[in-house]
Amino acid sequence: MNVFRRLAAKFAERYRTMSIQMVLSLSFTAVAAAGMVLMGASLVWRFSAASEQLVAENTQRVLAQANLNLDSYLRRMMRISDTVYYRSIKNLDLAEDDLTGDLSLLYEENRDDLVSLAVFDGRGELVAAVPLSAVKRDAQTAESDWFRAASRSMENLHFSTPHVQNIFDDPDYPYRWVVSLSRYVQLTRDGATGGGVLLVDMSFSGIEQVCRDVTLGEGGYLYLIDGDGELIYHPRQQLIYAGLLEENNREAASYRDGTRLEEFQGQSRQVTVKTMGYTGWKLVGVAPARSGMDSSLQPMLFGLTLLLFAIFLIAFLNYLISARISDPIRRLERSIRELDQGLAGVEIEEGGCYEVQRLSHAISAMVSTMRHLMDDIVRQEEQKRRSELEVLQSQINPHFLYNTLDSVIWMTESGQQEEAIQMVTSLARLFRISLSKGKSVIPLAAELEHARHYMNIQQIRFKNKFAVEIGARPGTEELYTLKLVIQPLLENAIYHGCASAEDDGLIRVLAYREGEDLLIDVEDNGLGMRPEVAASLLDGDRPEVGTGGSGIGVRNVHQRVTLTFGEGYGLTIFSEPDEGTLVRIRLPALSREEAERRQRGEVL
Amino acid sequence: MKSRKSNLIQIGILAVLGLAVILSLLIPQLFRGRKEPQLLSLSVMLRDTDSSGWTVAREGMEQAADELGAELRFLTLAAAGDSAEQEALLLREIEGGAAALVAVPADPEALSSALDRWLVVCPTVTLESPMEGAAGVVAPDNAALGRQLAAALLEDWTGGEVLLLDTAGRCAGVAERLAAAEAALTEAEVPVRRAETLPEGDGTAWVMAFEPSATQRSAEKKEAEGRSFALYGVGTTAAITAQLERGSVAAMAAWSDYAAGYLAVRRAAEAARGEEGELAALPFLILRGEDIYAPENQKLLFPIMSSSSR
Repeated sequence: MNVFRRLAAKFAERYRTMSIQMVLSLSFTAVAAAGMVLMGASLVWRFSAASEQLVAENTQRVLAQANLNLDSYLRRMMRISDTVYYRSIKNLDLAEDDLTGDLSLLYEENRDDLVSLAVFDGRGELVAAVPLSAVKRDAQTAESDWFRAASRSMENLHFSTPHVQNIFDDPDYPYRWVVSLSRYVQLTRDGATGGGVLLVDMSFSGIEQVCRDVTLGEGGYLYLIDGDGELIYHPRQQLIYAGLLEENNREAASYRDGTRLEEFQGQSRQVTVKTMGYTGWKLVGVAPARSGMDSSLQPMLFGLTLLLFAIFLIAFLNYLISARISDPIRRLERSIRELDQGLAGVEIEEGGCYEVQRLSHAISAMVSTMRHLMDDIVRQEEQKRRSELEVLQSQINPHFLYNTLDSVIWMTESGQQEEAIQMVTSLARLFRISLSKGKSVIPLAAELEHARHYMNIQQIRFKNKFAVEIGARPGTEELYTLKLVIQPLLENAIYHGCASAEDDGLIRVLAYREGEDLLIDVEDNGLGMRPEVAASLLDGDRPEVGTGGSGIGVRNVHQRVTLTFGEGYGLTIFSEPDEGTLVRIRLPALSREEAERRQRGEVL
Repeated sequence: MKSRKSNLIQIGILAVLGLAVILSLLIPQLFRGRKEPQLLSLSVMLRDTDSSGWTVAREGMEQAADELGAELRFLTLAAAGDSAEQEALLLREIEGGAAALVAVPADPEALSSALDRWLVVCPTVTLESPMEGAAGVVAPDNAALGRQLAAALLEDWTGGEVLLLDTAGRCAGVAERLAAAEAALTEAEVPVRRAETLPEGDGTAWVMAFEPSATQRSAEKKEAEGRSFALYGVGTTAAITAQLERGSVAAMAAWSDYAAGYLAVRRAAEAARGEEGELAALPFLILRGEDIYAPENQKLLFPIMSSSSR
């Protein structure tokens, strides 16, 4: 039971890993082959049974024919006996007439079948005989089986088993095998009747000829036994007599007429018995049980070839048909796998039978819906990003405006008209560049100019407490940058680097190109900070409390750059306490076209 | 990848099925080839000038040949017991392509030497006498036969010398019978004398012959000359049986010549096909005239000859 379960589990496991085409092909082939094998087995069984029946019927037919021939032969012998008795013996008085003449005539007519004809009186004395006329000196006729059988049962004719006739004195000593037909007869001598025995010695060859010509197929033969099972004829009689062969004749004597199977010397044999009417002899036909099977081996092999060819043909057709059925499913599966791998532009082919077409159509519709949904999600994400940018930019403007206007108020109050005018002028320029017609990507030159105006304002405010150097290396003239990325860094450099330093500060802005990137360094020689503090400034999760506002502008710029250009871009801060701070902005080196495309939102 | 593997498996299954179809077409051809074994050519060499004494044995041989798919060639000698001629004839048969030989050796020792190097390629089965290197011998237990024949004589013996006809020449089987009978008689203190022929006009009352031809000749001589010695011989020919029935032979050792011939050819065919086989000593009987017509003895003495072969 466990074995079956294991097999079933194994099969189920295999089934899960099989392709649909293989499942279809193998299943159909297995079912068709099983059906054909069952049908073939049924045919073989029926053929085998029919073949056995045929062999049995054939044997019975042959036996019936042999019985007829033998019966005819024996009746002829009986007619001879009747002729001798009723036409000669009954009509003759042995004291006056000689029986030999009549016997000779009959003998001559039937000499091929007869060995001798003889009449004995009740004591076994010879009355007449042909062709030999004398018995041996020591012949004990009255003791012979045939004589005693005739004397014992006077009404019947008696057939002996084959024996060598030994009563006649033959100078040639031919030792002929005969079957003796004997009967009790009434002999008349001088008008008085007395008993006697009429002997007709049939040549054994007559019986042999009748039986020898019978054929029972390959390995089959026929033998003849008397009622006690004594062999009368057997095709290998002398081998049996010589002890080189055995026959189941004694057992066969007990068989009833008909066909049966017997086991003899390890062989299964089909034995058919036919009893001859008045002699009680039995004709036994023997056919080896394997004979029928052997003779049908060729047709069975031919049948096997046909069966195998049919299975081959069905397997081949199933292979083709299953391939045709499963091909659209396989193509559909491949398309889905490509979709899964993220390949764009995958077409879902709608082919195959109705169900597969419907499935393909449904998947195609689903993919289309999914694409629309994804587009919507992307659009929504872009809008969300823009909103975030705008929010960030809007965080800068009030912050800066507040500081500048605070400085203008302060200068105006202190009577510094010129500085106030310059500051307001720079502020105006600053806002003009800030607006930039709503563009978020502006030329690098404009951004640097924006930084200069901003620093003008701050220098006035801080009374030139620090110097400013703003420049750009060659090769950057035509490049574009994200708007308002320098100003928050300058603000940080002023407030956290130079404002509280005791020495004169220096703030440097340098734009230059590195490969495909545009780098803008904002450097100050202010207080600086520990590298770990510098590293934490860009951390989005860093709490703002306790930093004195330091880092809000820097993180703002970093988030804007990474939101716009991706994670590879943004700010890097290098700082050491009392050494100063360098903030490096890394941006893609955008040309005018790229900047415009970006502005149109074509590049996400 | 999976699809490719599935295709390969299915093509493999189709190939196996196709192969099975081809094999099922070829197998009947192979069976047909095996069903007909090659016909064996066997030569049977007697040590007499004619085969009349071997008629029954020949029937048995032909029965075996028919059953085993063999073809028989019977050869006799120009002079009875001529071992040189026998050797020459057998060598010629071997060179002529005989698959195996069945021989009644006139001189087993000489024949064995002559055929020595051929016995491997052409197995030889002997009748009557054993031969060194032979594939088998079909004969009764010759010593036992000699002793039992002597015992039969002793049952009748009333005194007088027993003449032992020494016609064996160099035939070992016959010589063994003679020696065993002589020993048994000597042991019973019966005077014995060996002679190659039956003496003329001799007053011998007891004669023993140890081969069929000597038995038949002695009985014929006894009948022809009206002599009265008691003859004890061997053989199952119709002539000897008739002599036994007439009383010319007092007792005879008999065995089935039919079985002897059958067994000899069967063993020869087996040996030619390289098959193993064993031969047991042939059973024999000591028969007297009154025993001839006992049903079992009839079967032994008077074989039923197929009318087709007569």
